[in-house]
Amino acid sequence: MGLFMIIFTLIGGITLSAQSSINGTFSRKAGTIETTLLTFLTGTMFLTIFILFFGSGNILALLEAPKWQLSAAFLGTMYLLFTVIAVPRIGVIATNIAGIAGQLVIGLIIDHFGWFNSLVIELDIKRVFALLFMVISLYFIYKGNKRTSDDTVA
Amino acid sequence: MRFISYMLALLAGAALSFEGAIYAELGKTIGQIETSFYNFFMGSIIMSLLWLFFGKGKISYTLEAPKWSLLGGVLGVIYLTSIVVSVPFVGVGITMVAVIIGQLVMSMIIEHFGWLGSQKNKINKEKLFAVLSMIMALILIN
Repeated sequence: MGLFMIIFTLIGGITLSAQSSINGTFSRKAGTIETTLLTFLTGTMFLTIFILFFGSGNILALLEAPKWQLSAAFLGTMYLLFTVIAVPRIGVIATNIAGIAGQLVIGLIIDHFGWFNSLVIELDIKRVFALLFMVISLYFIYKGNKRTSDDTVA
Repeated sequence: MRFISYMLALLAGAALSFEGAIYAELGKTIGQIETSFYNFFMGSIIMSLLWLFFGKGKISYTLEAPKWSLLGGVLGVIYLTSIVVSVPFVGVGITMVAVIIGQLVMSMIIEHFGWLGSQKNKINKEKLFAVLSMIMALILIN
């Protein structure tokens, strides 16, 4: 089950990168806020149809769900807002890499303490090494991107 | 000011992990697809407000744009749903590592070929090293 979930999530990451390229192209002509609005609207439309036919959960339970769980919707907006502020000052590559670093570190911390009632997975030596390899990989991505942009300039 | 920008970018990433953990919890009570729906529905409302007050772009471009450039929303649905489904099984850490790897590797491929209107950016030695380290990380964390 675990491996299946990892593959599923890898696909989620793949679709996310396709989304950022597509949205990047669209936003050059339409604007950032407009692009995000369109993304959310079309996503809502798609999910409305999907849930009507295949939904097995209980959407009305939303009204009884604890408010802290509902507040997660603002975190996505926060992500967007902070990214939009950071990009013009430090560049797309640095923003993405810093963002990923924040995502990884907090992800491991949430696991370690089991925050939000999630699984408790201790931060052991293997996980610290995994984090180290992710940092190395981010460093190489930074170098690799810097080199290609230097080549383009030259 | 640069330092603050780096901190904001870090916080932006942290927000995504928090979002994943919290939505996983919501998914257990109302259903995973329903949680995705809530996110996109609420996001539409928040973005509509932001657009009304701060939108400077051209929303009507939607009607002129090539149809493939309107697919971002559907792709975003797949991403969010995969997170909501995966976190309760394997935790936030592995989920985020897997999402990030999928994202970084696919971006390299997309940029290598200049697909989807992106700027061409060839795969080089450094990027291959990066992929190798990511695979190591995934093996270690699993």
